[in-house]
Amino acid sequence: MGNWRTEIFAGFVGAILVIPQGITFAYLAGLQPEYGLYCAIFVTLFCSILGTSSMMSGPNTAVAILIGTAVLPLAGRGSPVYIDFVFLLCLMVGAIQLLFWLMRGARIFQYLSPAAISGISAGAGFLIIMSSLDSILDLSTFKTTFFYEKIYVIISDARDLVNPFSLFIGLCTIAGGYLGRRFSPRYFIIIAVTAGYLSGLLVAFIWPQPITELEYLGRMPLEWLPFSVPTINMEYLMISTKLIPYAITIAFIGLAQSLVIVRELKMETDQDINLDKEVYAQGLANLLAPFFSSFAGAGSFNRTKANQSLGATTPFSGIASAGFVLVLITFLGPILTYMPMAAMAGTLFIVGADMIKWRDIKHYAKVRAELVIYLATFVSIMFFGLATGVVVAVFLSVSVFMLRISQLELTVESSDSGVLLKVKGALFYASLAHLTERFHSHFGKNMTVDLQFTTHIDQSAVDFFIRESKHMAAHGARLTLLINDKQGHFLKKLGASSDIELVAL
Amino acid sequence: MQNMTLFRKLITVVSLITATSVLLMPSVVSAQQGQPTIEQLLQEPFLDDYYSNVVYGYEIITDTQNNASRYVGNSLNCSNCHLQAGTQKEALPLNVAGMYPKWRAKNGKRNGIGLRIRECFLYSMDGIMPPEDAPEVLAISAYVSYLSQGQIMGAEPEGRGVPTLPDTGYDPNPANGRAVYLEQCASCHGVQGEGMAGMPPVWGLNSYNKGAGMNDIREAAGFIWANMPLGNGKSLSHQQAFDVSAYLNLQIRPSDPRDSKFLKLLEHLIN
Ligand code: HEC
Ligand code: HEC
Repeated sequence: MGNWRTEIFAGFVGAILVIPQGITFAYLAGLQPEYGLYCAIFVTLFCSILGTSSMMSGPNTAVAILIGTAVLPLAGRGSPVYIDFVFLLCLMVGAIQLLFWLMRGARIFQYLSPAAISGISAGAGFLIIMSSLDSILDLSTFKTTFFYEKIYVIISDARDLVNPFSLFIGLCTIAGGYLGRRFSPRYFIIIAVTAGYLSGLLVAFIWPQPITELEYLGRMPLEWLPFSVPTINMEYLMISTKLIPYAITIAFIGLAQSLVIVRELKMETDQDINLDKEVYAQGLANLLAPFFSSFAGAGSFNRTKANQSLGATTPFSGIASAGFVLVLITFLGPILTYMPMAAMAGTLFIVGADMIKWRDIKHYAKVRAELVIYLATFVSIMFFGLATGVVVAVFLSVSVFMLRISQLELTVESSDSGVLLKVKGALFYASLAHLTERFHSHFGKNMTVDLQFTTHIDQSAVDFFIRESKHMAAHGARLTLLINDKQGHFLKKLGASSDIELVAL
Repeated sequence: MQNMTLFRKLITVVSLITATSVLLMPSVVSAQQGQPTIEQLLQEPFLDDYYSNVVYGYEIITDTQNNASRYVGNSLNCSNCHLQAGTQKEALPLNVAGMYPKWRAKNGKRNGIGLRIRECFLYSMDGIMPPEDAPEVLAISAYVSYLSQGQIMGAEPEGRGVPTLPDTGYDPNPANGRAVYLEQCASCHGVQGEGMAGMPPVWGLNSYNKGAGMNDIREAAGFIWANMPLGNGKSLSHQQAFDVSAYLNLQIRPSDPRDSKFLKLLEHLIN
C-alpha cells in the first residue's frame, strides 16, 4: 500500500484533468456533457475498484468517437432514442469485453503492433481536430464525405460560415494551452480552459448572445447517483444488430488501449498487476456504465501518466479521482454554465494535435514495415473513419507478423556427397515456399536438412518432406533429416520415418 | 404420402414464421395512419426518430424544468405561457410551423422556427440560447411540426398568438393594475408575484426577463385578457387587462440580455 496522501492528491489532479475531457468526449459521442462526467466518475470508479493497477480509466477519445459514428445513423444526436441506443451499445461493449476475459483473450492484443496503436491514436487525433473545428468555428452541422471537402467548404465560404466570436475564443484557448505548456507541462489543459473561459466572459461582456450566437455549456443537471435502466425491447434489439460490428470494434479498441497502458505500468513500476483482472475490470465497468447514465470508457494515457508522475501506485488514486469529480462538479457547476463550447473545443484541438506525434513518425520511419502500418492506419482513418482504420491496423499488423515469422534463415553447404541445408526459423505452411525454392535449385543431389534450430514444424512441412523424398528417390537421390527428440516424435507420428532417413542428434 | 407430410411440415414452418414475425413486427406508428395523439404516442413502447422527438418535445414544453434544464434560467415551463402544451388558441399556440421558412438562408443561416424557440429560451425562460442543433431545439421543432399538421403553409392559423386588444382610449394605469392584481391574481400568483406550487411566478428573478414578449404591455394584455384568471378568461375588461399588464411590466425581473451584459453575467453566475 502506497502512501495514501500521495494517492489522494494524484486523484485530485486526475479529477481536474478529466473534467474537460469528460465534457468534450461526451460531445464527440453525441451526448450531453453530464454523461461524460458520469463516465469520468463511474467508469473510473468501477475500473479502479475491480482492477489491480494505478491505471486511470474513464472517458476515452477513440471510444467516444466510435460511439458517435455507430449511433448517429440511428437517431438524432442526443435525443432520448439516441441515448437509449448508446446505452445498449455500451452494454454490448461490456459484454464482449467480458467474453474476452472469459476466453483469456488478453494475449491477442500483443499482436497489435505498436506502430498500429500509434497510427490509430494519430488518426483519432486527426478526427478530434476536425470535429473540434465544428465548435471552434461554430459551423452549423453540414455533412461531407471526406475531410478535404469540409476544409474546402469552410475556406471558400468562410465569411458566411465562420463565427468570429467563437473563433476568437477558440484561438485564445489554443494559445493559452501552448503558452501554458511552457510554464506547466502538466496542467496546461487547465490553463487553456481558463484562458478560453475568460475570453468567453470578455466577449459576453461586450456583446449579447443574440449577436455572438455563442454556444455555452449550460447548466448541468447532475445527480449524485444517476441510476438508469437501459431500455431493452424487441424493436431495439432488432435495430441494434447494426451496432454489433461497432460494439466489437469499441470493445477491442478500448481493451487494446487499456492493456497497452497496463503493460507499460507493469514494465515500469513494481505494481502487482494481473492483466486478466484488468480486462475483467474494464469489461464489467463498461457493462455497469449504462446503469449509471454513463457511456463506455477505456484507459487514458495522459491521465495515467500524470498519475504515475505524482507517485500514485495503487487503484486508490482512481477511486479518489472519481470522488473528486463529483465534488468539484457540484461546486463548479454554476461557473461552468457560462463555459463557451468553443473553449472546450479548443482544448479538444490541443488534445488532438498532441496525439499526432512527429516523434512517432520519425521513430517508425526507420523500419519500412512499421512505417507502412503507421501511415496506412492513419490515412485510412482520415478517409474512412476510425472503425475502418482499426480493421486495417489489425489486418496489417497480423500480416506483417505473419510475413516476419514466415521468413526462414537458410544456410547451404555443398560438398561432393550432397547438400547440407541448415534451417533457422519456423517451418510451417507459410514458410515452405522459401524452402521449396532451395530444394528445387539443388534437385538431383543428396540432401541433408539440419532441423536443430527450427523452432516449429507443422504437418504441412512434414508432408512436404515426404513428398520431396519420394520425388528424390525416384531420381536416385536421398533425403536425410537431422532432428531432435521432440521433432522425431512428431515426424514418426505422421509416418515420415518410412520414406525419410531420420538422424537424431 | 411422403410428399404430403413434407408439404404439411412446410406449411407449419411457414405459418410459424409468419406468426412470429407478425408478433415481432415493430409497432411503430407510421404517419400514414393519420396523426396519433400525444396520449397514444406516450403509450407506445417504441417510436421512430420523428415521433420520439415529438414526444420529447412535448415533454420539454410541459416540463421544461426537468427536460431542458440546461438552458433554463428561471422557474417557468414553456406551457405556462403556451397553454395546454401549446394547443390552446389565443394562448400562444404552437401550431405555427407553416409561418416560418423551412429553408435556411445561406448567410442568415439561423432563422426559422429554431430561432424563435431559442429566443424563448433566452428571454421568456431567462436562460441561455441553445445552439441551433441542440437536441432540445430539434425536439421542440418536431413537436411544433406535429402540432401544425393540417395547417396550410404560410396561412396564419386561427387563434395564433394572443388577441390584439383594441385601444381603449385611456393610457394603461399601473396603480389600477395593482388593485386588479391584488384582487384577481394574487390568490394564485402571490402578493409578491412569486407564484406558488403549480402557479408560475409573474415577476421576480424566477420569472421571464425584460426582453421577453410577455414584458410587452400589449402582448401581455392580450394574453391576460384571453386566459387569466386561469379558467375564467375574458372576464376582465380590456382596460383592466392593460392596467394589470402595465403593473406587471413595472416589477423587478431579470434584465434584458441585450442591454445590460454585465448584470446578466452576474445574474447567471450567482444564480
Ligand atoms: C413567459 C411566457 C413564455 C414562456 C415561458 C415561453 N414563451 Fe414562447 N412565446 C411567448 C410569447 C409572448 C410569444 C409571442 C410573442 C413574441 O413573438 O415574442 C412566444 C412565441 C413563441 C413561439 C412562436 C409562436 C408564433 O406564434 O409564432 C414559439 C415557437 C415559442 N414561443 C416557443 C417557446 C418555447 C419552446 C418555450 C419554452 C422553452 C417558450 N416558448 C416559453 C411567451 C412565452
Ligand atoms: C386560478 C389561479 C390563477 C389566477 C387567479 C390567475 N392565474 Fe395567471 N396563471 C395561472 C397558472 C396555473 C398559469 C400557468 C398556466 C399553465 O401552466 O397551464 C398562469 C400563467 C400566467 C401568466 C404567464 C406565465 C407567467 O408566469 O408569466 C401570466 C402573465 C399570468 N398568469 C398572469 C395572471 C394575471 C395578470 C392574473 C390576474 C388577472 C392571473 N394570472 C390570475 C393561474 C392563475
